[in-house]
Amino acid sequence: MAQFVQALALGVLIGGIYALMAGGLTLIFGVLRIVNIAQGAFLILVATFTWWLWRATGLDPILASVITAPLMFGAGWVLYRYVVVRIRGQAASMSVLLTFGIALVIEGVLNIVTGNRFRSATPAYFEQSFRIGDILLPKAQVYGFLAAVVVLGGLYLVLTRTWAGRAIRATSQNPSAAALVGIGATATAALAFALGSASAGVGGSILSVLYPFFPASHYDWISRLLGIVVLGGMGSLPGALAGALILGLAETLTATYGSLQWSTLVFYLVIMAVLLVRPQGLFGARLREDAA
Amino acid sequence: MIDKSVSRRSVLAASLAASLAASLALGLGACGSRPSEKAASETDQPLVIGVSLPLTGDFSQPGTEAKRGYEVWAEQINKSGGLLGRQVQLKIVDDASNQDTVVSDYTKLITQDKVDLLLGTFSSLLNYAASAVAEKNGMVFVEPAGGAPNMFTRGFKYLFFAQPATAPHQADVFVDWIKSLPADQRPKTAAYPIQDDPFAAPVIESMKDQLEALGVQTVYTQTYPADTTNFQPVAQQLAAKKPDLVAQGAVFEDGVGLVRSLKQLQYSPKIMFQTSAPSNAGQYSSGVGVGSTEGVFYTVSWHQDAKTPKNSDFVAGYKAKFENADPAEDAADAYAAAEVLAAGVTAVGAVDQDKIRDWLHANEVTTILGPLSWEATGEPKGKFLLGQWQDGKAQVVAPAEAATVQKVVHPKPDWK
Amino acid sequence: MRRSHLIAGIGLLALILYPVINPWQPYPQGVMLIAFLLAIQATSWNIISGYAGYISLGHSMFLGLGSYTAAIIALHTGVNPLWMAPLGGVTAVVIAIVFGSVVLRTRGHAFVIITIALLLSAQIVATNWDGLTNGSDGITLELPFWSSDFQNIPFYYAFLLLLVLTVLFSAWIARTKFGTGLIAIREDEGKAAAIGVNTTVFKILAYGASSFFIGVAGGVYAYYQTFLNPVGAFAILGSVLIVLSALLGGRGSLYGPVIGAFIVSLINEAATVYGGSTQSRVLILGLILVAVVLFLPAGLLPTVQAAWRKRHPVETEYTDQTGALSHQPVAIVRDRLPSASSGPAGSLSSAGSLSSAGSLSSAGSLSSAGPLSSSAPLSSAGPLSSSAPLLEVRGVTKRFGGLVAVDNADLTVERGSITALIGPNGSGKTTLFNLITGNMPLDSGTITFNGKRIDKLAPWTRGHLGLGRTFQVTRLFKDMTVLQNVVAPLPDGRLRTMFADAVSGAEAARARDLLGIVGLARFADQRAGDLSYGQQKLVELAQVLMLSPELILLDEPAGGVNPSLLGRLTGVIRELNQAGVTFLVVEHNIPLVLDLCDPVHVFARGTCIASGPPALIREDPVVLDAYLGDDWRPQDAHAQ
Repeated sequence: MAQFVQALALGVLIGGIYALMAGGLTLIFGVLRIVNIAQGAFLILVATFTWWLWRATGLDPILASVITAPLMFGAGWVLYRYVVVRIRGQAASMSVLLTFGIALVIEGVLNIVTGNRFRSATPAYFEQSFRIGDILLPKAQVYGFLAAVVVLGGLYLVLTRTWAGRAIRATSQNPSAAALVGIGATATAALAFALGSASAGVGGSILSVLYPFFPASHYDWISRLLGIVVLGGMGSLPGALAGALILGLAETLTATYGSLQWSTLVFYLVIMAVLLVRPQGLFGARLREDAA
Repeated sequence: MIDKSVSRRSVLAASLAASLAASLALGLGACGSRPSEKAASETDQPLVIGVSLPLTGDFSQPGTEAKRGYEVWAEQINKSGGLLGRQVQLKIVDDASNQDTVVSDYTKLITQDKVDLLLGTFSSLLNYAASAVAEKNGMVFVEPAGGAPNMFTRGFKYLFFAQPATAPHQADVFVDWIKSLPADQRPKTAAYPIQDDPFAAPVIESMKDQLEALGVQTVYTQTYPADTTNFQPVAQQLAAKKPDLVAQGAVFEDGVGLVRSLKQLQYSPKIMFQTSAPSNAGQYSSGVGVGSTEGVFYTVSWHQDAKTPKNSDFVAGYKAKFENADPAEDAADAYAAAEVLAAGVTAVGAVDQDKIRDWLHANEVTTILGPLSWEATGEPKGKFLLGQWQDGKAQVVAPAEAATVQKVVHPKPDWK
Repeated sequence: MRRSHLIAGIGLLALILYPVINPWQPYPQGVMLIAFLLAIQATSWNIISGYAGYISLGHSMFLGLGSYTAAIIALHTGVNPLWMAPLGGVTAVVIAIVFGSVVLRTRGHAFVIITIALLLSAQIVATNWDGLTNGSDGITLELPFWSSDFQNIPFYYAFLLLLVLTVLFSAWIARTKFGTGLIAIREDEGKAAAIGVNTTVFKILAYGASSFFIGVAGGVYAYYQTFLNPVGAFAILGSVLIVLSALLGGRGSLYGPVIGAFIVSLINEAATVYGGSTQSRVLILGLILVAVVLFLPAGLLPTVQAAWRKRHPVETEYTDQTGALSHQPVAIVRDRLPSASSGPAGSLSSAGSLSSAGSLSSAGSLSSAGPLSSSAPLSSAGPLSSSAPLLEVRGVTKRFGGLVAVDNADLTVERGSITALIGPNGSGKTTLFNLITGNMPLDSGTITFNGKRIDKLAPWTRGHLGLGRTFQVTRLFKDMTVLQNVVAPLPDGRLRTMFADAVSGAEAARARDLLGIVGLARFADQRAGDLSYGQQKLVELAQVLMLSPELILLDEPAGGVNPSLLGRLTGVIRELNQAGVTFLVVEHNIPLVLDLCDPVHVFARGTCIASGPPALIREDPVVLDAYLGDDWRPQDAHAQ
């Protein structure tokens, strides 16, 4: 029983962190209809930067997201305004290819600048745990989870309580209607892309403590995040949350009671099964272009 | 030797062969010879050794270390007058950890660049493909890595593995140490988390069989995929069984990951063994925390302080060349592979692939890893060293003749 | 096009002769054969991702599947893997079709992502299914049986042969109506379904077709490598190279992927030779990918061809309407009618998933919200006829959230009539159209066509039964030529029709005749998007005629059409009607309706409030009140 509760607790902690990472991806998709394959590379880029910052100044890696998030916000804004915006109006598939290219560029640059080796930040608390009865909650995971929850909560508030946030949601629901009521499409899109990138800023900083990483790790991460987003329903924030929790729990539970070797496959099979019944994912609204 | 500029031109021309003109130019321009004809060595030219290494991609880390090892060796041998009186020139190309490219690279090195000798690449995955090219062309292929068992079941005659033992025998030295313990100090139970990796898995699987024969009860076995990043579940399950011994088939990041998770769960086994991971000195200790390295066992082909011939030269040369960095095991393995090849060439007195092959099969070679000799399959006959982290340093504790310290930390202290 | 075939032929000859002229060059041959392999993959990828527009990022999976199939069989039987290579192709096709039929039911991005997931899943299975694949240790194969002097020459020719076959296969597909249908799917999937293209089957077949030659090549490749393991066989970078090749050369074109593959292989090799130890390869590939997407999205070959065409314009053939009409167009239309009315032929459409048909019409007619509630139908009984009606709508309802767009509506269309459906904006006319043609599923009620329930059938099956439609805002495939647009529709679901020649032969001739009927034959080779709006409406009508329909639903045919074209349009409608085609017309141009149609049904608040001959409708106070309102009086109609 304790083992089960322990597995559940770990699954939820990890799921929360996955949710933050996948949230940015799904936000960008919701507004821009762009699958940002570079989101994984953003995470690794930020993790590397956080690691460097931690080594150079001793700044706590998770706290470093106070720096990395605004930086990524700016980087995302610039990337959108000067690169991604050029393919607006083209076939959706081009955005996949473009962001894939961006991911490769980031990987290539990291390869050259930082070298191809594993890194992980190890602040003092990374090996300590909170103990609640028989349950051990690793501090790093808990802090990471809390940071993720704070950021996700903040994101929720921004989307619901601010004009810019409402503009984003309006655009994601009906771009032409949003344009009609005076919401600037480009500015909104850039804002969404920047917010999505900023969430990768926080996610990457958390990642640097929790997982060893190297430049090519981004493939692992993006396939995991895409799985979450497809499962939850592309463009749906609650969907990303649900998908992330399902993945986190699936990982810890299959590892505890089954074989780790097949857990990724099990996750993909779940996605296939969901798509068979609900092609739009768990929480996905049918998109206009999905309609025949 | 074909002039370099000509070979470049022919590459370009070949690729543009979609036009007839380019193809004709090629047909007239580059007249090759049968691959079986070897270019006659000219003694005043440098002796060229061709290597393809994974300098980018998945295996770029060991690949880069191997490159350094080869370079240190070449520098040193050239200082001492070269090989057969000729200067040695390394021709190292990048295969991006890609099997297509490694085949194409070695094919080019052999048939186009007509290199005199070959040295092996890194990881079994690439050596499988590369050794087949060398075998087809009758070139001696000394590989610094590639100890997967399948490597030596293909009946290759030109293949030599320049490490003391293949994967299934790597842990023999650790089992020997357990056997040497008094019965009450031996572990009663053991847990085996294993990465699904062609090198790591056979080490632990063979160790598990040997320990079970000794009466050590297996309480946990789990093979996890290579891309596992989250070790909480493994650690949690394993800790629940409270094994005396944890023996992990680790590559690198998973070794660090598991230790970190075990620390978070505050479970410290009496004996902790990991393959490969702890031998990456600086990265391992910074990954798990220096204090927590204390008492961790691993096996290794080489140690920095080993008293083997030329080892101190190698370490000094490496430090001088690479900003005082500590050499990695992979660099030492590459250095040793080059030593093996050089020994063969020197003994035969000529660049004659068949004679070098026959000589290596018949003789023992002294290297910085210790003496090496081979079965007909190219499988080495030796044993690994048993390493242990003590006081923040990686030491060798067995076999006695190679040990760098006398004491063995047992049982392992708690994580710090 | 002929010129490019000539260049390709010369290139092929050079490639065939190269090893003969200069046999002892294993390295350039090795580089070339890897380029062939990449070209095989890129050309195959082009079928699903270039023609049909469904991007696959995991296509290297099929290479791995083929490799493993050949290697495993070779291992267990001792037969040389080279002879087992075709079985690799079979495995690839089976896997593609099985998973394709799950994934390709959805549209858009999910497919891209699932292809990556499939690739990774294949790697996981290969890693963990020890008994079959030897796990992460991989499988080693014997060295080639031929003399080492020949090195890679046999592989060179094997891959070259496969490349030629792949290109021929791709060219054949592009020529058939299947190929035209795939491009139609890429351009506008909903519209493709409306003109009889069974999009589900087309996509699945295309995915299968795109896997076969890669699978075969995989078998040969395993033997070339003599070793395969999960990480190498299912590498994502392999897929990157495929995508990059096809994109660089020009996806959707025949030779583009081949050219792209040669260039990418060359760059890859150059990075090895000149890049030396700099870790630049990934960066270079990434930069090229970004640059191509941003600056050369069409790819090299189409860009060059477009530039060529600009400098060497081709004269278009000229046919005027009267000339074409003298070809007895009416007989042409009638010719095909019996085959369409002879019964359902949609055997392929058994998938029949209505879920893929749900829709908000892109015309966006719903945004003008209709009344939220509605009273009981005031039906002043539609015209009754002794013969069975062609189309019967009974009690059909469609809700969008709280909005009832069509409310328990009844509608009857008599055989041989030109029936009109009029009503204010938002009264549910276009929604009713969408329900009749299957572009969206209905909530309740029945629709019977020709005595057969059709309300659960897929849109393409309804098309095969003889139901055609045009759209309120034309939905031509803008990047296809006018002729291709008209050839694309499929009047039935038979394989023979699907793989009929679309470039020459009966289908193309018929399409030209139909273009003649609407007076646009001379625009046959123009890009459809370049035509004027009115001309596009006429092309869309010709497109529908290709289905040999019994009933054509026209959604505001007169909207945005200038008077002279409008005259041609009504002329064509009358002629076709005399030839036996029934029409159901939604139109706001009341004088046109009263002139052309009989009977007229009036829709308001999602249901039919009045029906009858135009003279009666014109005077009906209920109609005047509900629909025509204050701004229309009968005298206005007379005035016009």
